[in-house]
Amino acid sequence: MRAIIKKGWRPVSVIILLLTIWEIAGRVFDIPAWLLPVPTQIWDEAIHGWMHYSSHILSTIRLAFSGYVIGIIVGLTVAILLFRLPVLQEAFYPLLILSQNIPIIVLAPLLVIWFGFGMMPKIIIIVLVCFFPVTIAALDGFRQTDRDMLHYLKMTGATNRQIFWKLQWPYALPSIFSGLKIAGTYSVMGAVISEWLGANKGIGVYMTLASSSFKTDRVFVAIAVIMILSLSFFAVIALLEKWVLKWQQQGGDSSSG
Amino acid sequence: MGKLSLQHVSKSYGSNYVLQDVSFHVDEGEFVSIVGPSGSGKSTLFQLIGGLYAPDNGDIMLDGKRVNNSRGHISYMPQSPALFPWRTILQNVLLSSEIAGQKDSTKAKELIEKAGLGGYEQAYPNQLSGGMKQRVAFIRSLNSPQSIICLDEPFSALDEFTRFEMQEWLLTIWEEYRKSILFITHNIDEALYLSDRILILSEKPASVKKEIIVPFTRPRAEDILLTEQFMKLKREIHHDLRG
Repeated sequence: MRAIIKKGWRPVSVIILLLTIWEIAGRVFDIPAWLLPVPTQIWDEAIHGWMHYSSHILSTIRLAFSGYVIGIIVGLTVAILLFRLPVLQEAFYPLLILSQNIPIIVLAPLLVIWFGFGMMPKIIIIVLVCFFPVTIAALDGFRQTDRDMLHYLKMTGATNRQIFWKLQWPYALPSIFSGLKIAGTYSVMGAVISEWLGANKGIGVYMTLASSSFKTDRVFVAIAVIMILSLSFFAVIALLEKWVLKWQQQGGDSSSG
Repeated sequence: MGKLSLQHVSKSYGSNYVLQDVSFHVDEGEFVSIVGPSGSGKSTLFQLIGGLYAPDNGDIMLDGKRVNNSRGHISYMPQSPALFPWRTILQNVLLSSEIAGQKDSTKAKELIEKAGLGGYEQAYPNQLSGGMKQRVAFIRSLNSPQSIICLDEPFSALDEFTRFEMQEWLLTIWEEYRKSILFITHNIDEALYLSDRILILSEKPASVKKEIIVPFTRPRAEDILLTEQFMKLKREIHHDLRG
């Protein structure tokens, strides 16, 4: 706890400073609330309007989480398939990158036309933004497998399957976790974007409603909620990483050899 | 015939002739070292015995069976310890037997104890020193069911003092288990101190140039390193490697 305070006071004080400048500037220049509300007004709205948006949060979390889980499964499956079958990798790798060049904003209305306003198009969007970082990170991790360990396993007579599960997979885990963290923050963004398309619940909906009725303070509340959600997602995955990769923390200062 | 025998084995990569007509054998419970100039194809030799590649000519026989290009017949200790950092010491020692499909943690624990690593079963490799890691790598190969161990310059990365300590340690633990050992090294002292026989490889394309039977009795004492006989053999090998 003390370590967190020791490390965290600098960024926290910068944020507090910025908020204070914002607050003072807003009051001094008398900026109207529909244009730019000051932090205290946003805070008021966040507290008193809780029942307006709490159900939206839950719906967004549910959407982001389901999309994220499916995205991870797709991402890892694609990575393993491409890695184990080099022919597939040659054929599909460019397609993989192309899939990331399609602007989501363009794709989203198309998905609505094809799949309607249900969960399906929303999940597809989240999966599309989530699977890519996971696949790339996993593939990189698999490729960077330590040559000495690989040589050892081959000499000992391990099968390709054993080599994969005993060496390549665990070796790639740190890399996979960085992919998972990136995908985690993307998943919240993906969920919000997909809710803009047309949904009856979710932070994205709350945000569109707020901005179209010039309730700017609510827009800021939505932004804050999205940030907090992304951060919590990130934190949960980081904790999971720490727990799974606990071997990385032990010792550590002795020279690696 | 011997336990492991190579009969007229040749190997080339394109026009690069690495091994030419290599023949030798290792008997049951024997400690045989191979010394050779660097780049003389010692590693290729191990890769052939390990079954990673097929020889162009000749046969590799283990217990009377032809094992050309077939893996899983030997246990192996590489130059770097190649311990898996996410596995505890015990899990690392179990790895080789896991691959062979027979896990026996009682024997592994016993080996760890004998290796002087008792209490480190649940530690991770990054908590160990270089010499300790090599010990783990050796008992990992000792713990596998195969009866011949191939060691590929296992102590070359250690400092002089640790190296000698490790050689003594290797001898004590090997004398207890007596598995056949094929040992690659470029250190003549090490070869003389440890082995029953020494095979000298020629320059590329390598073949067995000379065989030296080491006359010292076992268990070996440290002071043989300074005897006249030891020096004489060392000079002889040195001369063979040069010319």
